[in-house]
Amino acid sequence: MPQIVVENLSKTYRVPEREPGLGAALKSLFRRKHREVEAVRDISFIVETGEVVGFIGPNGAGKTTTLKMLSGLLHPSSGGARVIGAVPWERKPAYLRRISMVLGNKSQILWDIPPVDSFRVLGEIYNVPLLEFRETLDELVALLDMEDLLHKPTRNLSLGERMKCELVAGLLHRPDVLFLDEPTLGLDVSMQTRLRRFLAEYNLRRGVTMILTSHYMADVVALCARVILIHHGCLLYDGALSGLARKLAPFKLIKVSLGNGHMSAGADPQLPTGVELLQRDNGQLTLRVGHDDAPGITAKLLNTLPVLDLSVEDPPIEAVIDQIYGDGAVNLEETL
Amino acid sequence: MRHLRLIGSFVGIAIENALAYRVNFWISLLHSLLSFGTGVLAIVVLFSQVEAIHGWTLTSTLALLGTYLTLAALRRLFIGPSLEALAGLDGEIWTGTFDFTLLRPVDVQFLASIRHWQPLVILDLLMSGGVLVFAVVQLGRTLTLGSLATFLLTLFVAVIILYALLLGFAGLVFWSPGFLFTWLFNAFFQMARYPVGLYPGWLRLVLTWIIPVGIMTTVPAQALVGGLSGAMLVGSVAFAAALFVAATVLFRTGLRRYASASS
Repeated sequence: MPQIVVENLSKTYRVPEREPGLGAALKSLFRRKHREVEAVRDISFIVETGEVVGFIGPNGAGKTTTLKMLSGLLHPSSGGARVIGAVPWERKPAYLRRISMVLGNKSQILWDIPPVDSFRVLGEIYNVPLLEFRETLDELVALLDMEDLLHKPTRNLSLGERMKCELVAGLLHRPDVLFLDEPTLGLDVSMQTRLRRFLAEYNLRRGVTMILTSHYMADVVALCARVILIHHGCLLYDGALSGLARKLAPFKLIKVSLGNGHMSAGADPQLPTGVELLQRDNGQLTLRVGHDDAPGITAKLLNTLPVLDLSVEDPPIEAVIDQIYGDGAVNLEETL
Repeated sequence: MRHLRLIGSFVGIAIENALAYRVNFWISLLHSLLSFGTGVLAIVVLFSQVEAIHGWTLTSTLALLGTYLTLAALRRLFIGPSLEALAGLDGEIWTGTFDFTLLRPVDVQFLASIRHWQPLVILDLLMSGGVLVFAVVQLGRTLTLGSLATFLLTLFVAVIILYALLLGFAGLVFWSPGFLFTWLFNAFFQMARYPVGLYPGWLRLVLTWIIPVGIMTTVPAQALVGGLSGAMLVGSVAFAAALFVAATVLFRTGLRRYASASS
């Protein structure tokens, strides 16, 4: 059953603008110029119950703005959305009780008191019955292995420990939909892995629908079978992560190890047409071939060269995404 | 009932917070004593020169000071800390942490108004109560149940007016998030230390009906020491109700402008 339905959603911000310099600053006191920025343009998609969807795109693509509209924080300029049957920006208490948002760059835990006291206030705000509150807290604390953090003042916790607390704070009222905005921002690699494992397990246990934005591709790879790519506010791709890689980088990498005689000769071996040699390293060649040509070329290589070992791989997703975030983004709209 | 429980939770948190920093207790005590001492001293010095000004004697002015100090304490107890947390460069609107207030399944205005408490301000409340009791005893007038009820009603009206003004100023931050609009209000609020009758005619009108600091302190003091007209009582109740509605509308209109801070 669809839990999130987004139709032609757009958001335009009106931002003040002025020329540099003192003169322009003085002028702007009396007459201010504004510029319209289209943060989100006409996007539509559907998310099913229990799905985990990754929102990806470079900085300023419109990911957070979309998330904030879906959580009811922002009113859209046009278009509509329904999340668990409600219009988010009407911010009805019954709706807000069923969603949650965890922001990697903002904290909802009170600084000077132990997290457990912040949790109690949140339980009160969300009207969670005491028994359910205790059960949920115990479950989350066990899953995140954070028993020892509960009674320390929050200001004495590390960034990763605080993030664990943020997740508990966001899940205490057992939301049906969870919006995660950069939940692993600034965390070390092992803490990132830890939180990813937690989110995956929590999704399985409770069937919570999650939308996640992250700049760490490892988050997306680990958690999201489906991704939505936004760029300049437009939805460019909606589907499986592997499909995105195929579209953006329609090639495969073939790694071939050859017999010693061939490699030490110095010259590159005779390669079939349509093959690009990317790297030559310690007896191993890395070749790039068109996605559809891969089977034929593999067969040719095996027939013509003294192959010791051969593997065919998709290009690493990081490299594909880098293409979007980097200069390659200019022509992205045409590619997809 | 749920709202009361919520207030209880926030007060509990505030007490814990206050106890986390012991030095704050002493600073707060010093602040209370200073504001109490300077207030009383100024009036005592003034009335050592004259018997009465425009009908206001030392005792009735002390009753007014007691009312002023009570209001100032209530402001510092929760209205001020809660609403002022929205404004300024480290305020919740500017930094975007207001997101979390908006995400809660509780009325935003209610939550924004009762989240932060300064429990140590209870010391101020005790002192201001002391001034009021002292003034009543000095008046040598037995306090009737009626005048006490009228005083409490006008004090409630004063709190509503104070809250509405601060809510209105807080609402303006949605138009200009970095600016602390309450600075404007503070200058006028100081004038409520003295009876409005002391000010020249035009200023008296301004301080009664435009920036109604007069209604906030002079009216409750008159209820206590006598001299409050029925018309003024009804007028101030109506004024408070209108101001509350206007400030609520302004705050909620501002809310729609909230754009959240970028990630």
